[in-house]
Amino acid sequence: MAWWREVKYGLGGLLHRRERAREIDDEVEHYFEEAAAAYRERGFSDEDARRAARRECGIPEAAREQARSYGWENAIRAVGADAHFAVRQLGRNPVFAVCAVLMLGVGIGANTAIFSFVNSVLLRPLPYPDANRLTILLSEQGNSNRAPVSMFDLYQMRQGSHAFDEIAGIWVTNRVLPGKGDPEQGKVGVVTSNFLPLFSARPLLGRYFGPEDDLQHAPSTVVLSHELWVRKFGSDPRIIGTAVPVGRGSSIVIGVLPKGFRLLFPEDASVPPNVDYFQSLPIGPWEPNGPAFLHVVGRLREGASLAAARSELASTAEAINATSGRERVPNYHLYAFGLQNDDVREIRRTLYLLFGAVAFVLLIGCANVANLLMVRARQRLHETTIRAALGASTARLMQQVLTETFVTVLLGGAAALLVGWAALKAIVAVEPPSFAHLGPVTLDMRVLGFTFAVAVAVSAIVTLAPISAVRRLKPAEDLKRSGRSTTRRQSRSATVLVAGEVALAFVLLIGTGLLLRTLANIVRVDPGFNAEHVFTLRVSLPNGEVLREVQRALSALPGVESVSTVSHLPLDDQGNWYDAYWKDGAAADEQNASMADMRSVLPGYFGTIRAQLTQGRDFTEADDAAHQHVAVIDDVMARQLWPGESALGKRINASDSPRGPYQFERDTLVVVGVVRHVQCHTLTATVRPQIYVPYALAPRPSMSMVIRASGAMPDLATAARKQIASLNRNVAVTHLEALSSLVDRARAESRFVSVLAALLSIVALQLALGGIYGVLSYSVVVRTAEIGIRMAVGAQRAEVMRLVLAEGMVPVSIGIAAGAMLSAVSMPLLDHLLFEIKVTNPETYLLSMCALVTLGGLAMLMPALRATRISPMTALTTE
Amino acid sequence: MMEQNTDVIQGTLDLLILKTVSLEPMHGFGIGRRVEQVSQGVFRMNPGSLLTALQRLERAGWLDAEWRTTENSRRAKFYRLTRAGKKQLEIEEADWNRRAAAVARLLRQEA
Repeated sequence: MAWWREVKYGLGGLLHRRERAREIDDEVEHYFEEAAAAYRERGFSDEDARRAARRECGIPEAAREQARSYGWENAIRAVGADAHFAVRQLGRNPVFAVCAVLMLGVGIGANTAIFSFVNSVLLRPLPYPDANRLTILLSEQGNSNRAPVSMFDLYQMRQGSHAFDEIAGIWVTNRVLPGKGDPEQGKVGVVTSNFLPLFSARPLLGRYFGPEDDLQHAPSTVVLSHELWVRKFGSDPRIIGTAVPVGRGSSIVIGVLPKGFRLLFPEDASVPPNVDYFQSLPIGPWEPNGPAFLHVVGRLREGASLAAARSELASTAEAINATSGRERVPNYHLYAFGLQNDDVREIRRTLYLLFGAVAFVLLIGCANVANLLMVRARQRLHETTIRAALGASTARLMQQVLTETFVTVLLGGAAALLVGWAALKAIVAVEPPSFAHLGPVTLDMRVLGFTFAVAVAVSAIVTLAPISAVRRLKPAEDLKRSGRSTTRRQSRSATVLVAGEVALAFVLLIGTGLLLRTLANIVRVDPGFNAEHVFTLRVSLPNGEVLREVQRALSALPGVESVSTVSHLPLDDQGNWYDAYWKDGAAADEQNASMADMRSVLPGYFGTIRAQLTQGRDFTEADDAAHQHVAVIDDVMARQLWPGESALGKRINASDSPRGPYQFERDTLVVVGVVRHVQCHTLTATVRPQIYVPYALAPRPSMSMVIRASGAMPDLATAARKQIASLNRNVAVTHLEALSSLVDRARAESRFVSVLAALLSIVALQLALGGIYGVLSYSVVVRTAEIGIRMAVGAQRAEVMRLVLAEGMVPVSIGIAAGAMLSAVSMPLLDHLLFEIKVTNPETYLLSMCALVTLGGLAMLMPALRATRISPMTALTTE
Repeated sequence: MMEQNTDVIQGTLDLLILKTVSLEPMHGFGIGRRVEQVSQGVFRMNPGSLLTALQRLERAGWLDAEWRTTENSRRAKFYRLTRAGKKQLEIEEADWNRRAAAVARLLRQEA
């Protein structure tokens, strides 16, 4: 138990420091007394005996020091003393301390903030049981990939699967919510009975769906979200087992989901994180040509690989496509991705880019702090040299330097936690759109560990400069030069540091420039409609009669120009309706090859949103199921199907549902109009061509009203709501917002990234300018004598100024050259974030360069002016 | 420097102290003096090293210490060999003898 004794003695030493020290002192004193006594016995006088004892045994102080420093507890105390010394040194030079801590705080803090995103989004597993085995299964059909699948396909995938132990599907749609209060529209998740257990180990109350719910005459059942249960059922646990009205019938509540349950699906999956309640859907070999509407999740069998799952899906897809009675879909494939990987596939690159940007900021900060430390080391060179000459070992001197930087960096790290926390709060507060479908972003132990590790790495980097200064010490020679340092070599390392800072700042500037130009392009882009003064709201209603009543009622409001309705608003990714289309009479292998976005509208829709009809006419109330079935297509489709010809009067095969909501069937439609493409999903990409059909051919229980007002009408929401309520027709109204806010939201991603990049660039630029300023100022101080002599022998002020500016411009030009090369290599990484601008855009490069040279010149101005004010006399006398 | 040529070889210091204390409990100065006398001045210890070594041996559990009055009525810290210390002394003695013998054999061979 030797270690135990060590600990005991050590702790005893720490706790009873005084007693332990006194005991040693007593022992040393006794030793020297005995030694002196021995001399006295030999006849020495008191005084001589003591002196002789000292001659023999050395001085008691040295013995005391040696005996006292034994033990691990005293090693700790030495470091503590160094740290104490370091804090005192920092206190003595508060400007240095504040600058260093601030720069490190910002640099490390930015890293902390971005790392907490990386940690929460990329590293932390999704909050589901066996999350690493969850995969998302997608299909490719014709020209569309990442598409949902039909129940028939899901059934075939499940049959005899070796790679998956569960395959489940979900389809989210809008319904009126059950429960007390006004009728309200919400989200229902229609799921296969095996779906919920994949995402949640157990319900808060009751049970999840099971095989019993799939039986043919099983009663309709629902599982409520925690939020709905609290809000609409008053958190009543007795709700389990009772029937609640759902749709036109009623369902039995069998369970309540745990609090905070969220579906973290990829952004384009049309599965929102918060679904209000769930209904089950029996799995079966439905009609082989049924609609593809299910978003499918598979759980890999224990030990099964993703590759095995993919090859299994490939052969399943072939088998499905070869099923007799199933229309052959060209280019039909099934594939699987890890759910988390797929969730973050868009955001991952952006996050890594931001991570790179904050790393640049940190590096620039490090270079500045290293510079500061170097200047300090030079200022203290005389002191250090003397200590070295007096016998302090290099190791001891280094230990002290290390402790000092470590204390500085630790303070910086503490500041960084504050900065990081605040930055994180700020970023989360602006709700970056691409994170909305992902889990919460928080600071946790891993982030703290990361920050600490970065701080340690930073102190290692920034100590290199002063350490090398200590290692180069040659006390004998240096003392002869009476403390004047060797400025030549060290100013070269300062040049390198500043050039590096400028290079990194240049890269950030160019990246930011490209992103800002992209944002400007996105703001300028014509979405195919005019959102100004258009207000939208979603209604859930029993039938088309009521829909037309609502349209008439809203049109009657004062200040309203026109009112119409659409099944899916542009730039609103709340669900989508899309299906295969082909030229009427196309060969079998050309059918099912292309997908179009389908929209159900009432007459007047195009005029209300100012979509531009380029040919033909809008719908009229006469375009219904009883008359010729007609459609309006967009110019993308017209050009694709009939290039160089008019599309009017041509026939296409598409799907509609004249027999009632969601009863989709293939139909032949005559094109009566062509409209310019409306940006439906993003502002920047033409995702699919569009087909509009009259509401009469595709009725839906939930539609979005679009209302064009003649001017700004702040109280339109209230007025519209009141007007609809006055109809007394049990219409649920939700999602009241301006169409322009949908456009805003579509720009949010680009705005978020470019604003963040701009902030980082500003910080980086300021740090780099600070670096230029600091190094040049110091250089002017060092060269005071030289400048004085120059002026004494007749140099003009302008010449001196030129001299200083020339010195300052050296690292700036080297930095810009290096930065340009670095940008050429790194900017292509930004490509996926850019819109209508090339990564090599010369204007951006030129502008960034001008900005850096100008601002750098301004940073040099102060030291340069100071140099011109040096009076030759004082300069010469002070040295 | 006073200690030139008489530095105690690293590692034998413990053996010398343990052996010396095994005869009777002794204080620091007494130990140093005894080693010097018996070795006829070959080994001399400076007080700093000696007191540090005594702390180390005490921590290792091989020595016990207590404050007592000396025959010339001064207060001094007396060290006494513990049972573990006795065992350690035996080990180190055997070890030393083995190594000394080995070195002696080697030297004979060379000659």
